[in-house]
Amino acid sequence: MVEVQRVSKTFQRIGKNGATELKALSDVTISIREKEFVSIIGPSGCGKTTLLKIIDGLTPYDGGEILINGKKVTGPGPDRAVVFQTFALLPWRTVLANVEFSLELRQLPREQRTATARDYLKRVGLADFENHYPHELSGGMQQRAGLARALAVNPSILLMDEPFGSVDAQTRQLLQEELLELWQREQKTVIFITHSMDEAVYLADRVVVMTPRPGRVAEILDVPLPRPRIPDVVRRDPKFVDLTNYIWDSLKKAMENHH
Amino acid sequence: MKARISVNVLSIATLAVLWEVAGRLMDTTLIPPLSNIASAWLRLLMNGKLLENLVMSLWTLAAGFFLAVILGVIIGVLMGRFRPVEHFLDLYINALMSAPMTAFVPLLIMWFGLGVESRIAVVFLFAFFVIVINTMTGVKQVDRIFVEMARSFGAKELEVFFKVVLPAAMPAIMAGVSIGMGRAVKGIVTAEMLLTLTGIGGMIMQYGSAFATDALFAVILTILMVAMIAMKLVKIVDRRLTGWKAEIAIE
Repeated sequence: MVEVQRVSKTFQRIGKNGATELKALSDVTISIREKEFVSIIGPSGCGKTTLLKIIDGLTPYDGGEILINGKKVTGPGPDRAVVFQTFALLPWRTVLANVEFSLELRQLPREQRTATARDYLKRVGLADFENHYPHELSGGMQQRAGLARALAVNPSILLMDEPFGSVDAQTRQLLQEELLELWQREQKTVIFITHSMDEAVYLADRVVVMTPRPGRVAEILDVPLPRPRIPDVVRRDPKFVDLTNYIWDSLKKAMENHH
Repeated sequence: MKARISVNVLSIATLAVLWEVAGRLMDTTLIPPLSNIASAWLRLLMNGKLLENLVMSLWTLAAGFFLAVILGVIIGVLMGRFRPVEHFLDLYINALMSAPMTAFVPLLIMWFGLGVESRIAVVFLFAFFVIVINTMTGVKQVDRIFVEMARSFGAKELEVFFKVVLPAAMPAIMAGVSIGMGRAVKGIVTAEMLLTLTGIGGMIMQYGSAFATDALFAVILTILMVAMIAMKLVKIVDRRLTGWKAEIAIE
């Protein structure tokens, strides 16, 4: 269980005109159940990524509290792993060595490390590419490697920061399907940042809609679509269409109120 | 690659022929024909003089360069990682980076005397600053997302440094080391010409003042060859350490 309670974050910028303050998040409260898939959607610059980094423990927050299973977050922990928008694969390491990276930091012995990394590469369909370097792979394949690296440490919470934002449309749909399959098999809590309404609804149990800066929670919506979700069926479901339209209106309203 | 090599061979052959012809036509000691230079080179090689001096020069070069790499990388890393260190030192490093190092030779003689220490110090000074600046720049330019990723997976400061920052900065560091090597060769010849007439630099001064142009050219060509081999060695190390970067650049 992930509880985000009245979290606020203000960045201090020291520029030419002295220190300026940038309020990124204001009073954000979200409660996420175990093994739930939650999408967070909002306009660019609404602090979605900041919120994710705060939950990961990378960024300190200055108001409120983050609790995971009742314990306060004070830094990164083995119960969470991030999948990054730009993949963040180390270019000097092969795909296998990139997946092993997360395991090295957990002090796993070498053979166990390699075996685990290979296992997860197989699960994301990259078994034949372990000796390739990231730049030799397509964007979609690089993100599969990023996903394998995160899954390999066996976190209970997967934090995904617009993970499919930099791949082409077809690959994106394919990755979404694969992610749902993996999520059903691996039984993880997923917090998924996106700015695609279609993606948010297709994947999630609930969608959190955020306002422009400073990011607040505008609405939290249930996604009443059955699982497993078959893409063509789901996307033609009137409930899917209604919900994406509703989110679009909600985002528009939030933007209008902002100006 | 093959075409490239044959053009290189053609280029050298053309120069050699022109040189030989020009030398014979002009018939002066100022431009000796290439064949004379070759026989002077053989003579110096046979009587052991060239090798003896070359070994001496190379040893000094290696010592000064090694120190410059070790200290240069350490200082560069500290400057790149810690703002206060950078602000404390960058003024001097930038000033000395482009200052003519020969100006410091008299000072070095006073500090270290006329022995090998002074020559090592000259080599060091020639190579050091460019390595510092390149290392610092490389460390500063490491993509933040890599550092963030490592922290997110629980990396501690030292792990972030050795597993992410250092390998990411390695191409820039090696670029500095490579330029530093070129400068180090200049440093050793300068030191041997200006300080005590030893090594290959000393041979240049000796043959130059004796108008032994054939031997002089033989030494100069030897220095060019040494410089080329030294650069090649750096390139081999560079390939081993940062081959991944070269492959990305090709695409």
